Amino acid sequence: MMVDFEFRKEVMDKHVSSDLIKYCYQCSRCTDNCPVSAVSKDFYTTTGYDPRANILAALLGYKDVIFSQDPLAIWGCTVCDTCDEVCPQHIELTEIFTFLKNKSAEQGNAPEFIYSQAKAIFESSKAIPSQPAIERRRQQLGLPAVAEPNVGELQTLMKNIGAEKKLK
Amino acid sequence: MTEFKMFEGCTIGNRIPFIEAASRKVFDKVGIETSQAPFSCCPDPTGMKSFDNEAWLAIGARNLCLAEAEGKDIISLCNGCANTLRGVQHQLKHDSLKKNRINKELAKIGKEFKGSIDVKHFVDVLKDNLDKVKASVTKPLSGLKVAVHPGCHYMRPGEWMESDDVMRPKNLKEIVAATGATVVSYDEEVLCCGSAVTNAYEEHGMANLKIKMDSIAKVGADVLVVNCPACFQQFDTRQRDLSKKYEKDYEIPVLYITELLALAMGTSADEIGLKFHRTRMKKEL
Repeated sequence: MMVDFEFRKEVMDKHVSSDLIKYCYQCSRCTDNCPVSAVSKDFYTTTGYDPRANILAALLGYKDVIFSQDPLAIWGCTVCDTCDEVCPQHIELTEIFTFLKNKSAEQGNAPEFIYSQAKAIFESSKAIPSQPAIERRRQQLGLPAVAEPNVGELQTLMKNIGAEKKLK
Repeated sequence: MTEFKMFEGCTIGNRIPFIEAASRKVFDKVGIETSQAPFSCCPDPTGMKSFDNEAWLAIGARNLCLAEAEGKDIISLCNGCANTLRGVQHQLKHDSLKKNRINKELAKIGKEFKGSIDVKHFVDVLKDNLDKVKASVTKPLSGLKVAVHPGCHYMRPGEWMESDDVMRPKNLKEIVAATGATVVSYDEEVLCCGSAVTNAYEEHGMANLKIKMDSIAKVGADVLVVNCPACFQQFDTRQRDLSKKYEKDYEIPVLYITELLALAMGTSADEIGLKFHRTRMKKEL
């Protein structure tokens, strides 16, 4: 296990309001309240989704440990934000997990729907592109057509930010 | 009342537009005015944000710029969109480095984020107009037992959603009660629908959905009312898979809160396309 100090610094910087993550005392309220831990993890095992373990490894800078595990350890998170609310230290866990997911996506290890959605947004500016059958249904329901977004503007943003390069 | 920019979002606009139809009918009755704008994907707080947070911020900020240009607040029909747009606004307002970085990108497409407008979830707007909602009810739904699922992103993170109690939400219940229906409480009310994890790990998503649906079935709810299209799809389309997987008949109809309101306000099931639901209505409401 190697401590990656650059990675550790990045983790510290991810907090929107401060570096509260360093005050984590591993109480496990996050894991105890996590709906995915509840269905994927037994108390005495180390497999399954475990937000507490993620925070510990991120805080210590164990980059290789985090990214060499089964991707479930990162992508099991269902983004319900429950852990953020129950944390007694007000750590914004979901922001840290977002950072881990971003890194994992860059390495090509995200679940397929993450890439297909990003691709749809790059190509059409919508996560779900418009289709003729739905356009007809909108008409039948008396709805106006969806206003066409400016696809070029989104492509410029995604190219310049470097998100396009992460697409599969 | 002031006019809002309508943010119907990708799922409602391009997949389940019958929810937009019901919402527009209810807005008309209550007097909520809206107009369109060429918004892109919000983008998805469980998808694009996990893919690239910086792109999530920039695309979200671009949408906010479109509403800022007209000086109008946004009304969102979806938890995810409201969460993204409020979250982007919160992060850029509280982190000047981030704001400068994003504005540098936006400048290349001729835009600048100022933070001059507000983003409202439609449930909050209805709650603010509860008297008008009540006054518009012409066919009270007396006797109907309703379980509610406000969904995670409607109230969490509390720091930027500022809508309801984060673990004991009540706004959706109050709106349901305005229709004359009876709200039935259940143990797992704040449990996530599991939409995001089901996309990646179906086995865990279905196990979570079972806990949720068992809790709802236990209290004998006639319908489940939601205010998020991702939750709607999770319950409406995956309930059948759940019944098959666990050999148990769930079949609890799922209604968007604006569908329930539209029915209570005298709109017919045909006008709002209720036939497009996967889980059939057991009885005529």
